[in-house]
Amino acid sequence: MYIKSLALDVLKKYAIILVLVGIIILFSLISPYFFSWRNLVNIFIQQSYVIIAALGLSFVMISGGMDLSIGYQISLVGVITAMSMVWFNLSIPVAIMLGIITGICLGLFNGLASITLKVHSLIITLGTMTIFQGISYIITNSNPIYGLASEFKFIGQGYILGIPFSVILMIIFALVASFILNKTYFGRYVYAIGGNEEAARLSGVNVKKMKLLIFSLSGLFVATAAIILVSRAGSATSATGVGTEFTCITAAVLGGVSFKGGSGKVWGVITGVLILGVLSNGMQIVGLGVYPQYIAKGLVLLGAVGFDTYQKTKKGKDNKILKNDNSKEITTV
Amino acid sequence: MQTILSLQNITKQYPGVTALKNFSLDIREGEIHALLGENGAGKSTLIKVISGAIAPDDGTIYFTRSRNEYNQLNPSLAKDEGVEVIYQEFNLIDSLTAAENICLGEKYGRLVNYEIMKKKAADIFKQFNIDINPTALVSELSTAQQQIVEIAKAVSRDANILIMDEPSASLSVSEVKCLFEIIYKLKEKGVTIIYISHIIDEIFEIADRVTVMRDGNYIDTKNTSNTSRKELINLMVGRELKETYPERDTSSQEVMLEVKNLYGNGVKDISFAVKKGEILGLSGLVGAGRTEAARVIFGAEEKESGQIFINGKQVMINKPEDAIKLGIGYIPEDRKKQGCFLEKNVRWNISFANLKNISHYLIVNQKKEEQTAEKYKELLNIKTPSLYQIVKNLSGGNQQKVVLAKTLAVNSEIIIFDEPTRGIDVGTKQEIYELMCELSKQGIAIIMISSDMEEILGMSDRILVLTKGRIAGEVQKEDFSQDYILELASGN
Repeated sequence: MYIKSLALDVLKKYAIILVLVGIIILFSLISPYFFSWRNLVNIFIQQSYVIIAALGLSFVMISGGMDLSIGYQISLVGVITAMSMVWFNLSIPVAIMLGIITGICLGLFNGLASITLKVHSLIITLGTMTIFQGISYIITNSNPIYGLASEFKFIGQGYILGIPFSVILMIIFALVASFILNKTYFGRYVYAIGGNEEAARLSGVNVKKMKLLIFSLSGLFVATAAIILVSRAGSATSATGVGTEFTCITAAVLGGVSFKGGSGKVWGVITGVLILGVLSNGMQIVGLGVYPQYIAKGLVLLGAVGFDTYQKTKKGKDNKILKNDNSKEITTV
Repeated sequence: MQTILSLQNITKQYPGVTALKNFSLDIREGEIHALLGENGAGKSTLIKVISGAIAPDDGTIYFTRSRNEYNQLNPSLAKDEGVEVIYQEFNLIDSLTAAENICLGEKYGRLVNYEIMKKKAADIFKQFNIDINPTALVSELSTAQQQIVEIAKAVSRDANILIMDEPSASLSVSEVKCLFEIIYKLKEKGVTIIYISHIIDEIFEIADRVTVMRDGNYIDTKNTSNTSRKELINLMVGRELKETYPERDTSSQEVMLEVKNLYGNGVKDISFAVKKGEILGLSGLVGAGRTEAARVIFGAEEKESGQIFINGKQVMINKPEDAIKLGIGYIPEDRKKQGCFLEKNVRWNISFANLKNISHYLIVNQKKEEQTAEKYKELLNIKTPSLYQIVKNLSGGNQQKVVLAKTLAVNSEIIIFDEPTRGIDVGTKQEIYELMCELSKQGIAIIMISSDMEEILGMSDRILVLTKGRIAGEVQKEDFSQDYILELASGN
């Protein structure tokens, strides 16, 4: 009985991985081209920047916030990095540093705005999103920035020992995110603020400072994603990366990051991104265009959320029974 | 006078608490009947039974007019019997007008008819000589006016039994006068009123009869014309001390925390000192400023002016983080909303406030974390299957212990306990009392806020009574008496 319920628990907890495995098997059966080393590596390359951006967003979401401006953060960071190299002839490392600093500043700005205006970050970033959009388009005047150095393109296109460099970066950032969330007190505070902000504050957490740090950290992740994306594309435009925010939110929710905050895991977010990635790649190979892909992604999200709610309400009922059992035990002792 | 509502042997149990024990009461037609009792006496449970919000475990409710007898009601049945309740928290929709609120849920023809609604509301306001614009939004009205809209809503539904739960709690003196006039008019119209209040003077002014409740028991019903304030207080609190409160040595004279002329968060000019190993009780009615003062001292709310000294040195506390660093711990009154992280496990919760101290740079030392959690689980006898149980699944008493453990793990020297035993079973209460005594023996200064009269008298070395944000008086141990503290608390 115990083992059975344990197995069920494990199944529920890792259901999302089963979904990923399921669609991989499905596409493998339909198309012989899908399950090839080359294609699977391709998926990873395509999704590496999304994973990094989604992990950045996860910090914000786990702390109970939201960031809709990620797409235009990518756009602006990409444009500034490319501009520094092509227009101002700055060296690649300096340009990358400038890009990263821009990202951190954009995150900081989101954080500052949400703590000073005391409005939920969903609304704040709805505003900053269009501000970033405006700045990005003013810089480029809607023209793409071409002519990036081939050394720079290495970030998104190069290989080290046969492994794509962007995938290596993705793995490093995933490890760092996992380390921060699981091993440091900073990570605990992120969960605590999302779980119960007032209790966290009364336990001595400087919630305002934490929010600034969380948004800045998110900015750092998003800026890295932007640099990978621009490097892979070989040029920067103001439209680069736009829409990534919704992919990231979908992936995070799919991967079990609570909309209310307080919970979420790195492996879940990665799985979430991969599900979306495999879905679009697989459908592409099978010959379904972009539009059916949108429908499939939407259905997967609704399905996942529905399953989660069903599971939680059921779990709530189970726990109630458990609680009564406990109290009986205690009183009879 | 004829009986309109008869309650027979009503019993209601919650896990660990019996809210009503074999409670019987007859309400007469057209009377104003007051219910009096301390917090937790069972008044709210009683009105919820009458209004159908909860089902009693046992007993019957009999309505004389309709000759219907019920084992339990539901809200719509209660409305059919003419019962309307005005709760302390208003059930008004802020974004609608007064008239719309009054006529909410009623139908006049197929479409919304604003004219009829406006007329109906205006008629009721006119009856009571009240000047409220029926088309004003509820959000624009004052608290007193909102109260009147609530009453109008009940009246418009032809209530014949109107229950009012502490209607005067948030009103000023002149507004209370106005409220009473309305109540008299309702009485003239033949409406029976059940009136709940903490304020004894009010009961003498308005009620015909008063029923005293204590710990879910019916104590007595008196005519207000032949009872006295003193008698009612005695009935309300007169009981043997059930719990035993451990003896302590309280000889230290060393002042640990001193507060001078504190203003802010509704608190006015509060000054006091707590000595090493002393338990200082803060008493007063709900909203008298006890929690408010504690939160200002702890830095959770903004201080307007005043000074705080710890061990004789003036300190600056701008946020809880500062207070904790200075050795002040605060155990909040609402453990679920302010105390614990319900979705996280016991270990996670216990170690949380102390994380920085058991971390090397940023990295949490999980071994030390485990040890801390284990230590406090043993020390406080937290009943949990494991340290990895989610706190949500623990009982209220054990959740409270987790919150205590979280604060204790930081090794504070001054601890503020805000309602430390609210909603907790007797056994756990006793354990918490013993723990507080143990802490005081170790020289920790304790401030205890409590609405439980027995508890505050039993545990405190000294009691400060607050009213309306100010200190109404300080009571030394030798002068402890329930009557005296109630007198001070009600502002006389």
